[in-house]
Amino acid sequence: MFKKVLIANRGEIAVRIIRTCREMGLKTVAVYSDADSRALQVLEADEAFYLGPAEPRQSYLQVERILDAARESGAEAIHPGYGFLAENPAFAEACRQAGVVFIGPPAQAIRSLGNKTVARNLMSRASVPVIPGMLTTAGDPRVFAREAEQIGYPVIIKAAAGGGGKGMRVVASPEELPEAFQSCRSEAEQAFGDGALYLEKHLVGSRHVEFQILADSFGQVIHLGERECSIQRRHQKIIEETPSPALTPELRETMGAAAVAAARAAGYVNAGTVEFLLDQQGNFYFLEVNTRLQVEHPITEVTTGLDLVRHQLEIAAGRPLPFRQEELRKTGHAFECRIYAEDPESNFFPSPGRILFLQEPSGPGIRNDSGIYAGFEVPVEYDPILGKLIVCAETREAARRRMIRALEHYVILGIKTTIPFLIDVFKTAEFIEGRTTTDFIDRHFEGWRQDDGGADLARMVYAVAERSKTSGRPEAGPMAQGRPSPWKTLGEWRL
Amino acid sequence: MNYPLKIQDEVETLEYLPVKEKDEARVTIKNTTFQVAFQAIDAHQLRLLVDGRAVRAFVAQGPGEKHIALNGRVYRVQEIDVAQGRRRARGLEEAPGEVTPPMPAVVVRLLVAEGEAVVRGQGLVVLAAMKMETTLKAPFDGVVKKINTALQTKVMPGDRLIEIERRNAS
Repeated sequence: MFKKVLIANRGEIAVRIIRTCREMGLKTVAVYSDADSRALQVLEADEAFYLGPAEPRQSYLQVERILDAARESGAEAIHPGYGFLAENPAFAEACRQAGVVFIGPPAQAIRSLGNKTVARNLMSRASVPVIPGMLTTAGDPRVFAREAEQIGYPVIIKAAAGGGGKGMRVVASPEELPEAFQSCRSEAEQAFGDGALYLEKHLVGSRHVEFQILADSFGQVIHLGERECSIQRRHQKIIEETPSPALTPELRETMGAAAVAAARAAGYVNAGTVEFLLDQQGNFYFLEVNTRLQVEHPITEVTTGLDLVRHQLEIAAGRPLPFRQEELRKTGHAFECRIYAEDPESNFFPSPGRILFLQEPSGPGIRNDSGIYAGFEVPVEYDPILGKLIVCAETREAARRRMIRALEHYVILGIKTTIPFLIDVFKTAEFIEGRTTTDFIDRHFEGWRQDDGGADLARMVYAVAERSKTSGRPEAGPMAQGRPSPWKTLGEWRL
Repeated sequence: MNYPLKIQDEVETLEYLPVKEKDEARVTIKNTTFQVAFQAIDAHQLRLLVDGRAVRAFVAQGPGEKHIALNGRVYRVQEIDVAQGRRRARGLEEAPGEVTPPMPAVVVRLLVAEGEAVVRGQGLVVLAAMKMETTLKAPFDGVVKKINTALQTKVMPGDRLIEIERRNAS
């Protein structure tokens, strides 16, 4: 087993990985940018190395600086977390060449699964059902028009180099196609450096169901059950749960077997996730493989009792999986909410800034993986995820109520967060009935506003706080002078 | 004592009358009066009994406003100086000719130069934050008096990025 591991990431996932390393007796090395010199991963690791300015390209994406940090610290392995370099085959390869173990799949598996059309071909040949559509990319919009006619609208144009919900556009009719094609291409070029596109049928009202797999370097591949991730906004997941309300034991077995077949077909090693779309008739189709530990992995952990980071480290250290498929048991029902620094009343505007007060929820069946603390300055340069709140209980309904209680006890003051929005999602009738499909948020939460029944009570609290001097620490300094306000000058937001 | 309190766009005036002990009051809002008793638990936590009903509240002081959390809902409450229709609290006044970011951000494009005439709504500076971009626009017709920032500078709410002197369009 390694003696020292470098975590090439930041925020909640870096903290989560450090925790398991510490429990296994491994030394930990954190890396940080200018914006993160006081971040939680720096505070919790044994050592920390400076990478550069806050902008990811100058810090968390700096392959050479990270390898230098590994060399200087003597770290024998690097855990890439998710995002940043986690699915960068060149980084995995560079680690190997530097004599450092990359905790993840082989570079070749990352490369082939990272190209979505290559992945589709691989799966198709392995008899895993794929979404009807193109198996190769094309540069001519007329090819797309022909394919779309053949499989039927609506269709979705996707970037071959994309993934994670980015670089895609739904096209409802032939008239929309040429423009969608052009803007998708330029977006893909900008975001991924590769404008190659392909087309699939758009399965309306489908569910996003994914399977966690673990594969060792001895050819053993197992799955750890599914996660349902249908509550999404702009193709980004917000809420995940396991088990999926839509799966029968038979469907679970069939899809699980398909996930294992998919992993084998790609020569996969370590932890990964095979994503499927499940249509309303109970047919499932391969979507993509995520060649990393995913954000929502905790719901699998709390229902299986397994520590996935531990298994990643053990697999990377050359150990075989210590259990067989038949030995795995899942109990209870779990939900996860991603907590974002965004304002749900203003089209989810990012809301960076200083956290003035923080109280995390606790109690039976509650797990909070967060990367923040009171006084931390949430930076502007990164994805606005503050952490994940996970609950587990005996039944889905008990877990739903537990999540509502946990969210109501989660106090973050100073920045706007999605907590009030999440509470309302969990109280919706369709959610209670488990009717979660990928268009859930669009259908039920367009133009959401926080229920203002409590506004007068908040006013009372204000007055009492003034009188009792419970008002936190007042800001000093420049507030005393005339202060400019942004509101008369603010334009619209765009990506 | 009266507190005109604004949440989002709504202002309601609350009347606060202390009753005998310091930790009790009669509070009137929207013509309804409540009996309120309270305990300050610590710098950020209050427990209230509103007509006997227990309420647990968390409070943090922000610039010119209090952030208040009640059972999962969060409110930003500002005290208003009704006569002038502006935010009050320790001399806070708006200076509308000064262009400032709504949140911490990075300057990615400057669209005007000092001395340039601008019209209301004209783009002045483009900011980026958390992978999104926004343009700050001129609040009225005028002339760019001063640019206090530069490309790639990190800026915060309260920073005076650009000063515009109001001038009627001729």
